[in-house]
Amino acid sequence: MSEADIPRERVEDALFRAGYWLVFAVLMLPIVVVFVTSFQQSSYLTFPPSGYTLEWYAQFFGSEEWLGAVRDSLAIGVGASLLATVLGVTGSLAVQRSDSRVAKLLPPVVLLPLLIPPVVLGLTLLIYFNRVGLTNSYVNIVVAHTLWATPLVFFIMQSVFARFDWNLRDAGMDLGARPSRVFYHVILPNVRSGVVIAAVVAFIVSLQEFIMALFLKSFEVKTVPVLAWTSLQSSLSPMVSVVSAFLVLTSILGVLLSAAVMNLEWLAEQL
Amino acid sequence: MASVTLANLTKEYGDLTAVDGLDLDIDDGELLCLLGPSGCGKSTTLRMLGGLETPTSGEVHIGDERVTDQPPYDRNTSMVFQSWALFPQKTVLENVAFGLKMDGVDEEERVERAREVLEIVEMGEFADADPGDLSGGQKQRVALARSLAIEPDVLLLDEPLSNLDKRLREQMQLELRNIHDGVETTFVHVTHDQNEAFTLADSIAIMNDGEIEQVGEPREIYDDPVSLFVEEFLGDTNLVDATVEETVEEGIVATTEFDEQIQVPTPNDGVAAGDPLTISFRPEEFDVSRVATDGGQLTESAAHGDVTTALEGTITDVLYRGSSVRFYIEIGGTSVFFEQSVGDETDLEVGDPVVVSWDPEDLLVFSEGERLGRGGT
Repeated sequence: MSEADIPRERVEDALFRAGYWLVFAVLMLPIVVVFVTSFQQSSYLTFPPSGYTLEWYAQFFGSEEWLGAVRDSLAIGVGASLLATVLGVTGSLAVQRSDSRVAKLLPPVVLLPLLIPPVVLGLTLLIYFNRVGLTNSYVNIVVAHTLWATPLVFFIMQSVFARFDWNLRDAGMDLGARPSRVFYHVILPNVRSGVVIAAVVAFIVSLQEFIMALFLKSFEVKTVPVLAWTSLQSSLSPMVSVVSAFLVLTSILGVLLSAAVMNLEWLAEQL
Repeated sequence: MASVTLANLTKEYGDLTAVDGLDLDIDDGELLCLLGPSGCGKSTTLRMLGGLETPTSGEVHIGDERVTDQPPYDRNTSMVFQSWALFPQKTVLENVAFGLKMDGVDEEERVERAREVLEIVEMGEFADADPGDLSGGQKQRVALARSLAIEPDVLLLDEPLSNLDKRLREQMQLELRNIHDGVETTFVHVTHDQNEAFTLADSIAIMNDGEIEQVGEPREIYDDPVSLFVEEFLGDTNLVDATVEETVEEGIVATTEFDEQIQVPTPNDGVAAGDPLTISFRPEEFDVSRVATDGGQLTESAAHGDVTTALEGTITDVLYRGSSVRFYIEIGGTSVFFEQSVGDETDLEVGDPVVVSWDPEDLLVFSEGERLGRGGT
């Protein structure tokens, strides 16, 4: 019986691996296509490309419109990331070790914006901002993205705080530190990497978000995904691939940054 | 330095009452051990003293000040945690100086004072070490130094020695005692280890189920326990069930599990014939000798008539426990033990018939958990 089992186990193993690589390939293929087509020669998006050139990259860096969109995306991403991190970290901290009713109710409430379709959220916010007379697109998109990113920060911090030794907080208070100083001197140094990772996630989410940004854009303020969509409507030029390549690269950089922060912490513990 | 008064202190978590109307006075400069089994509410009591838990009702006074509602950072108490809770991102010196920094002491002075305190706990050479690199005993010393550095009125110790191995624990008990004598601060030390409490304490408060069972000096508690709970908690003893046969002028005559009647000179108010009793025969009170082959000793005990102070039994087990030897004796179907130090032990062996005798004055008698003549009876 066991003799028959060993080849069978091997077959199952091989099948599992094949399936795993297939899924991986299917996921990676569009990204590969994006990178390859960003170097193509013809002005109309084709795959595989007939020749290669850096012309589209030159055009990208020469285009005031695209560079403006990059600046808008970065400004909105940083703003939304900062706001979502402050709200998410303090919100999560507030419900730790608390048995009040509000503390039990808060996590599901915080989750709500993630459950509402972005189309609905974008439309609602557009109507709402018009009503209250908020016409600054920067502020509007930052608020919309904060709404989207805060739950992510909140839940990342929930798991970070779950591993924190709350005796340290007690010890800090016991030694005369008020709550704000306990946070700064005792809690923050221990959860710093978690906070950085949460902020990076919030930034990437804001950078990629398209639907709400489309609703809330204005003539002056367009994020990169919104401009990509607008230019796609007129022509399927390889410029879109260039922009997508940059978006993917930024996200990979973010992930690498998070990994570096975690490794630094790990490294510091080893020293 | 300050005295502490806890009045009618109660802490409830939902339906669970962790501390139930606790009253306790601690003298200025005293080292009090809160002793009790796990879950008896002793740590909760300590945390309420430090302000880390808010009492459901009742009062906490430190010195002349009512601190019941004061947050921990406004109280001049300091706690040494069971897990020590050293700040992992700070050096040993920064840990010890932390409280002074929070008090606004300038850097030069707080470093100097932190170094002084580290010298007291013999950790001076580890000032720049990372707490993660220290051994348990060293962490414990640093945690102690960190708490002592702010010169608290009351130092709270939450089983800080329970994570140390036996030898180190005993050494630290003595050092803690010496440090207490040196700083003259009021110490409240929580432990579940009765040996630790007896080694350390000026006085011991024994807790059970959220309430104080007995407070007193170690000797006083050992000699005069108020309840069966205290007697059981203080150490190994032989508890023998008995039934009151009759109350006599000099005490009680009871039938024991040994199938023999014995007489105990104890106050007998509130007990009547037929009541169940528990009698504690402490192992050190037994006098055991081998039955002489001519039966001489038995005649002696028989002279007491039908109330016995000596019984015949058989050695069933001999256990070597390091520095002592424990002998188990079966008497009338019930097993009791006594101990002898190695070196002093007799040549008793398994199967030997022996006579066990005692002074009836040494027996402690409990009825419904309360000691006769003490407590509520």
